[in-house]
Amino acid sequence: MGVVAALRWVLLAAFVVCVKFPAFADPLARGRELYVLCSSCHGEHGQGDRQRFAPAIGGLPQWYVETQLRKFLAGERGYHPDDTTGLQMRPMAQAVYRDGDLQAVATYVASLRPLPAQRSQNTGNASRGQTLYATCAACHGADGKGNEALKAPKLVGQADWYLIDQLKKFRSGQRGAGPGDATGAQMRAMVNVLPDDNAIADVVAYITTLQP
Amino acid sequence: MLSWLVPQASTSARDIDWLFALILVTVGFWFVVAQAALFTFIFRFRRRPGVAASYISGERKEEKRWISRPHALVIVCDVVLIVGALLTWKAVKQDLPPADERIRIVAQQWAWVFVHPGPDGKLDTEDDVRTVNDLRLKIDTTYHFELTSRDVVHSFSVPAFRLKQDAVPGRIVTGWFRPTRLGTYDIQCAEICGIGHALMPARLTIETPAEHAAWYASRSAQGG
Repeated sequence: MGVVAALRWVLLAAFVVCVKFPAFADPLARGRELYVLCSSCHGEHGQGDRQRFAPAIGGLPQWYVETQLRKFLAGERGYHPDDTTGLQMRPMAQAVYRDGDLQAVATYVASLRPLPAQRSQNTGNASRGQTLYATCAACHGADGKGNEALKAPKLVGQADWYLIDQLKKFRSGQRGAGPGDATGAQMRAMVNVLPDDNAIADVVAYITTLQP
Repeated sequence: MLSWLVPQASTSARDIDWLFALILVTVGFWFVVAQAALFTFIFRFRRRPGVAASYISGERKEEKRWISRPHALVIVCDVVLIVGALLTWKAVKQDLPPADERIRIVAQQWAWVFVHPGPDGKLDTEDDVRTVNDLRLKIDTTYHFELTSRDVVHSFSVPAFRLKQDAVPGRIVTGWFRPTRLGTYDIQCAEICGIGHALMPARLTIETPAEHAAWYASRSAQGG
């Protein structure tokens, strides 16, 4: 067998392995393929879209994106009858079911360059919010850049309307009360420091002043 | 006949399968007879040496009969099928038998929310049980359903009930069903409703009254 013929067989075998086990392929390339589905709401650059209630995800840490996708898959997130947007996201996570695909799409999302956050007309008071943020800082960091060891995602760079929405969901049990969602349960306990919608608006107003 | 392929799990499924069988037998019988006549004539009047083909204008009475009699027969069969269809439509859609319980079905992109009446059997009370993609019904109980949508047009399709009903935002569509067979069955959105349409299935479980009560009890133990 000549060298060229041998090379052909090697390439064919590599192709079959990559098709059969996509995790063997370049995860970034595989992630880009899968991201086409996500981009219909989250945007081509992961910039988010308020009209579709899709948060900015570009540049979020890989571990966080993967964890959240797993929560959607397991029914720990997007389980509540009133969580309209969570219910939308849940089947999307179910579309990424092959071995390695979940990590691949999370890797691709993490590789995207974060774009400036969208702002809503949040009228919260940032200086009042700074006091309230002291509790959040314990896990999410004083700079709001998150802490993987504590499973706390970064908050800076996220759209304020999304943060407000999620804090309200934690408070009402639409998020964080799913069976087996330990970190969600932690967050539900923490959100009690924000007694009302004004406090939520204030703390989010402060978070949006932090530099990404 | 259809029940060999998809189980009949409601009274309406039985009615609709009866209509399908009526259509199949009526149309099927005459299809076989017509094809048999056609092939018989092709064979009987096949080309023979020395016999020239002749042109038939179809104006003589005994020739016209081959058109007029089947025509009359088709009309009679049509009337039979239309009467059958109207009777089924009346039984399934127009009559609304008294409800034992009511349930609410809310469609959204891309999930089904079911509001069960709870142990008191009444909707909009404290003990209502809401589920996502999980519908639980009691066997031999007549349900009225209120079907609506939060966003776009969906279609509530339950093949085992032979039921397919559009859910339209801003409207509450009322209908009914009476489950007749225990088991779990598929529910699927049957109207293209966006990128997640194919990922919008749900599960229907038909259970005995005791199982149903036990399920309610387990739900209230979990805090609803």
